[in-house]
Amino acid sequence: MLQADAFQRLYPDKYLTKFIEQGVRPDGRPLSLARATSIGLGVVSTADASALVKIGSTTVLAGVKCEVMPAVADAPDEGRLTLQVELAPLCCSSARPGRPSEAAALLTEQLEGLLEGAGVVDRRQLCIDPGKAAWALYVDVYVLDADGSLQDACLLAVLAALSSLQLHAVTLDDAGNIQKAAVPDAGAAAAAAAAAAVPGSPQLRRLSLGCQPVSLTCGVYLGRLLVDPTAEEEALLEAQLTATVDAEGGILGFYKAGGSVTASQQRVQQCVEAAKLRSKEVQGLLQQALDQAAAAAAAAAPS
Amino acid sequence: MAGQREAQSVPWFADERPAEVIADGVRLDGRSLEEFRNVFLKTGVISQASGSAYAEFGHTKVMVGVYGPRQSERRVEYSEQGRINVDVKLASFATRQRGIFGQSPEERELSAGVQAALEAAADLASFPKASADVYVLVLEAGGGELGVAATAAALALADAGIELFDIVVACSVSRVDGCLLLDPSTDESFREQGGLVLALLPTSNEVTQLVSRGRWSGSQLREGLELAMGGCAQLESAARQCLKDAVVAAAAKQRQQQQQAQA
Repeated sequence: MLQADAFQRLYPDKYLTKFIEQGVRPDGRPLSLARATSIGLGVVSTADASALVKIGSTTVLAGVKCEVMPAVADAPDEGRLTLQVELAPLCCSSARPGRPSEAAALLTEQLEGLLEGAGVVDRRQLCIDPGKAAWALYVDVYVLDADGSLQDACLLAVLAALSSLQLHAVTLDDAGNIQKAAVPDAGAAAAAAAAAAVPGSPQLRRLSLGCQPVSLTCGVYLGRLLVDPTAEEEALLEAQLTATVDAEGGILGFYKAGGSVTASQQRVQQCVEAAKLRSKEVQGLLQQALDQAAAAAAAAAPS
Repeated sequence: MAGQREAQSVPWFADERPAEVIADGVRLDGRSLEEFRNVFLKTGVISQASGSAYAEFGHTKVMVGVYGPRQSERRVEYSEQGRINVDVKLASFATRQRGIFGQSPEERELSAGVQAALEAAADLASFPKASADVYVLVLEAGGGELGVAATAAALALADAGIELFDIVVACSVSRVDGCLLLDPSTDESFREQGGLVLALLPTSNEVTQLVSRGRWSGSQLREGLELAMGGCAQLESAARQCLKDAVVAAAAKQRQQQQQAQA
């Protein structure tokens, strides 16, 4: 065993080549298989919504905090969503404490672009009182373990956190202070609960997301496509492609970060097809996690 | 980190902090006065790090990654000894009110506190001129962060194979209305009149760090210390078990790989 370890350290390229030529990956996966993925919702109780996503060893935690802001003059009926990705210094050996790194800023830009371009959150849903007050959502994403395909994991964590977010029902009183909305009488409460589709809690309102983007990163190595590369593989890849698709298979974004080889149209197509398959799998996982969270909330709520 | 505010926004809380934290000798979360929260410890949680640990005490969740010993990043005075460099960060959503951009005073205090608790435990002469970087991220601050972070950081150092004289265990005690509470939650320490944090090397029962806040009488402080010592003893067994489990799991994995290689 030690010999294989030493060989990997000294000749990482040859080590990977030996595997890829046989059509397998160092971790035993076939070339076209993504790593095992898990989604945990509501893991941080101080956040208004949170999601912990693991793709293999890659671990990402996203949390949402809701604050109240005065309405902005040019968009009186809209709230705000601020997103930030941080590569916590504990996630990999190159991350250091202090100013956000370039890699973190790039991830932030990419995710913001995807959310904006796909119209995931309609900001009018964040309105509290038109022209007066609105919700400001702060979505902060922490990468805890950077073992490759970070964008996929970050996007999934943001999507999961936003899907599970429930906004409190509030009103603006005469003094301009935000108050919890008065509890409506029983009949109205039941009607409101049915309308909001959040069983038993008329005081909470879910966001309805305009679309559910899922991205998949593929690497090119020896002319072959490696789905969902690990950090060890990423360091050796000739090129990296990331495709983002929605639940219907429409393409929302494509990103090729340079690399030493060009990607043919066929290669791009292959990556998009893989992303469509992955999207179905991930949507299923997310729905499962949401159902579980709803069941847990229903069990915890006094009936 | 935390995005800079583009325009003013203010926090809004659905619930107020409870005014009373003890009723008939029972605490809000159902614990008795001298009872620990549920403790969960695990090492080897970050694939990229030399050593890592995750600790959960009730709602307080902390993750630690250790890198090195490696060349010191910061320019420091020449030293034959190694250095332990600690950076503690609170996730922006870890606290009741959202965190600020940049390093907060609280984070600076926690970093210095964890560093002080660890320094006496590590054999600094075993990695001369290098530094072990200990990065702590508090995912949720549910009370007693300093103690949880120091305990987890010591486990992560052990996981990284850095030579320690002993592990470090740390816990806090709060005094609320004359009662001493072991391992207080945020609501409890918010209402405290006095508090202390104790970090010690459990084998020799030597204190590496003791911080007290508020006004204490001599006898109260002695009682508080005894309670914290008792808490540390409980933690010690959990911490040792966690390290033992990790070794057993690693050995089992290696054996499995050897069998596969032979087959």
